[in-house]
Amino acid sequence: MAAASINVWQGALSGIVGAANTRECSVEIERVRPTVEIAPASAEETAAVLRIANEHGLSCTPAGGLTKQGIGHPASSIDVLLSTRRMNQVLYYDPGDLTLGVGAGMSLGEVAQTLVPHRQFLPFDAMQPERATVGGLMATNSHGPLKHFYGGVRDFCIGIEFVTADGKVVKGGGRVVKNVAGYDLMKLMIGSYGTLGVITSANFKVFPLPPQTRTFVAAFSDLDSAVKFRDAVRKSSLTPLCLEFTSPQAQEYLREATPARDPDVYSPPTPADYRPYWRIYIRAAGSDPVLARYRAELGSAIAQEISGSDEIALWRWFSDFEHTVTTRHHNAMIIHLEVPCANVQGAVAAAEKAALDNSCMAAIIGRAAAGSLVVAVIPLAIGPPSAMHYANAASALRSALPKDASAVVAYCSAEAKPRFDVWGTSPTDMATMKAIRHAMDPKGTLNRGRFVVSSK
Amino acid sequence: MRAADLAKKLRKIVGSNAVLDQREDLMLYEYDGGVDRGAPELVCFPQTTSQVSEILKLASKSGVPIVPRGAGTGLSGGSIARSGGIVLGFSRMNRILEIDLENQRAVVQPGVVNLDLTKAVEKQGYYFAPDPSSQKACTIGGNVAENSGGPHTLANGVTVNHVTGVEVVLPDGRIVEFGGKANDTCGYDLTGFFVGSEGTLGIATKITVRLSKLPEHVATLLAIYNTVDDAANSVVALTAACITPAALEMLDGWTLRTVEAATPAGYPLDSGAVLLIELEGVREQVEEDADAVIAICQRVGAREVRRAANEAERQRLWLGRKNAFGAVGRISPSYYVQDGVIPRTKIPQTLAFIEDVGKKYGLQIGNIFHAGDGNLHPLILFDARSKEQTANTLAAGKEILEYCISVGGSITGEHGVGMEKMGVMPMMFSEDSIDVMIRLRNVFNPAATLNPQKLLPTSRSCRETFHPGHASLGGAEAGA
Repeated sequence: MAAASINVWQGALSGIVGAANTRECSVEIERVRPTVEIAPASAEETAAVLRIANEHGLSCTPAGGLTKQGIGHPASSIDVLLSTRRMNQVLYYDPGDLTLGVGAGMSLGEVAQTLVPHRQFLPFDAMQPERATVGGLMATNSHGPLKHFYGGVRDFCIGIEFVTADGKVVKGGGRVVKNVAGYDLMKLMIGSYGTLGVITSANFKVFPLPPQTRTFVAAFSDLDSAVKFRDAVRKSSLTPLCLEFTSPQAQEYLREATPARDPDVYSPPTPADYRPYWRIYIRAAGSDPVLARYRAELGSAIAQEISGSDEIALWRWFSDFEHTVTTRHHNAMIIHLEVPCANVQGAVAAAEKAALDNSCMAAIIGRAAAGSLVVAVIPLAIGPPSAMHYANAASALRSALPKDASAVVAYCSAEAKPRFDVWGTSPTDMATMKAIRHAMDPKGTLNRGRFVVSSK
Repeated sequence: MRAADLAKKLRKIVGSNAVLDQREDLMLYEYDGGVDRGAPELVCFPQTTSQVSEILKLASKSGVPIVPRGAGTGLSGGSIARSGGIVLGFSRMNRILEIDLENQRAVVQPGVVNLDLTKAVEKQGYYFAPDPSSQKACTIGGNVAENSGGPHTLANGVTVNHVTGVEVVLPDGRIVEFGGKANDTCGYDLTGFFVGSEGTLGIATKITVRLSKLPEHVATLLAIYNTVDDAANSVVALTAACITPAALEMLDGWTLRTVEAATPAGYPLDSGAVLLIELEGVREQVEEDADAVIAICQRVGAREVRRAANEAERQRLWLGRKNAFGAVGRISPSYYVQDGVIPRTKIPQTLAFIEDVGKKYGLQIGNIFHAGDGNLHPLILFDARSKEQTANTLAAGKEILEYCISVGGSITGEHGVGMEKMGVMPMMFSEDSIDVMIRLRNVFNPAATLNPQKLLPTSRSCRETFHPGHASLGGAEAGA
């Protein structure tokens, strides 16, 4: 874009948000450096910014804490990084009604601090809570182990405000826990990766913090036994908060993140600790008699019981798993799997094989009953994998899944990305999705070229 | 196209015994559980997805409105053929196609009756959680269209929390799939967006729903109060104590006496209000919560808290609640039920406001509602033959909704907007918000041939007035 024309729109945008909130962009999004970062303070400022961007045919990327910008196709260019960081206020909090409204730029950690004095919490345990923002995590439909009991963010988000590409401020839902007035715009926006509008605030139901929890760990020497145990728990009367699964290699990454070392391959620092166990982690909440009931029902399968600060750390590591893997291995590939519950075993076996067949190994965790898995494909020390290895591993895994499953590559090296479709297939009609994208953003102002609706 | 010509074409698609065109037959499809009426020109009962597709192609070619209809128990006029056209009845698409217990899913046709699905799986220890009070009659297709709730959706979530996939026929006849058996999918969550769209985006012909595990233990409590205020304050206290019952229902004194007269459920006739509270889950947890609930209710002024000793007593307590609308129908020529939602902290003052509104207009208003999620159902009694009473009823209803919104609430918690509340949508949503909803509707249903003039206000003038059609008799079988 010609310098003169850049000056025109940059001046206009700066006039809306103020010079102090217009700056050169210091970060790259998948190796693309945005021309400028603009941080509006409100939905109205966001609307004014987008009207100008839309008019000038600019490409805008909405951004929160930048923890998930690696997902999707790289943009060919980004004119404006639209930061939500100044929209980080608590808009209302009614502890007696257990409802909360916050700006999209608020981090999960800040939300938690707001709620703790009333012993309440938002069951949104996605990764990197200190950086990740509410808006970004909604746009990417992120989740953590608590999804087992509380569902995804679609299940506890009760209202949303967003700004369309042509600068309309739109509200869906409301502040109350039950509401069917108008279309459910929360559902449409969650998981839409910023392609239908920029989320500026959201309202949630919040929940009482359980007075005490305990984590029971069962270890198995083979996958089949672990899955059978999961099914026994599912069929029991127990209602745990989390029902999480780990593959043997995943243990290595359920700990503090360590920086990348050379060689950048799977090499546990303490191989002596390594035991090839498949594990099921059950987190229960309740009084002593309730926990005693868990002990009695789970019986001899329980190898370990974790409580207190160890328990808190463990579940933090579960949430941060993919961040830990990619911090340690810049050349890893992360795949988010969504499969029907009965396909978890097959998907895990397929992921292990797909990794090994391509000079990698798989470390897998996930919501064992909800069917939401995180697969880390990590290179082995037998020679650096080529871009084709990643593409082949993803393709082999996808071919083993049923048609209503999804396998999204959420992280992989920029060299490998052009080799394959990071989004994969969706069971949802593509023509309808593309028509919605076109109706909401005909010029492709928002996240141009990055989402599945832009795939060929 | 003339109705006779259309009927001939429809009979070719669905067979000669699946089209109604006689005045006396059509009259049965003029109304639902709400207050509005409108006569269709034809009623047609498809049996397959491809028949639905053929009918929609025919209708869109001829510009004839199509109005989908389940059991007609809706309370907002969603299935009323307000601009004539064809009503599509789904009573012949009522098969459970698949029960997949490994995945805790069932795949059903839209005409399957809500309670029939639970009956099909309860022996194996599962159930379909959304439980509208009309669940013996209402269909899952209708539940999807309205995103129906029910007493037990407090803990379990409403219909949208239990649907993971839909097969949809679009107005142009295209058959598409959204989602499937997995909890989440790559791409937009069109399943979630479709649920609650009130038949304005497409017609669901196959629905994949979640099956929940039956709880091992249930405790049902009846807390009895001398005043509505004490009962309302108990709801606030229970919410603040962070106890989430499976259901938390309130009946005020007038309503419970009316219910007792029709369905003796054991509600004390001299009480000012009762709370019906149900707890379910792991036995140890339920027992602890029951003790805590009893202590809180007593502290806040319950004169007595009874507990159902067995399943028969439990059913009796619930029978009163579920038959309440019918009980009111016995004593009043007409009634008008509202569906506003408020923050739970605002229940006491809102009930006081409703009482004042009743006094102001000289109308009897009963309150029976989902207190646990703040979803009110004030029942305004009136005689539709009196123009003055009818006008007062509508004015009172509007004042109550305005109050709900002023305290941060919503115009509808579970009954839907339909044709009844189209006019009050602008009280909740800005012009821009409604314009974007229309933009989205137009992606699916650009000519608005599918369920026209529902949910979204069509013109600016329409957005400013409140006209829930011509109020008449409320349906006795419906209710939530």
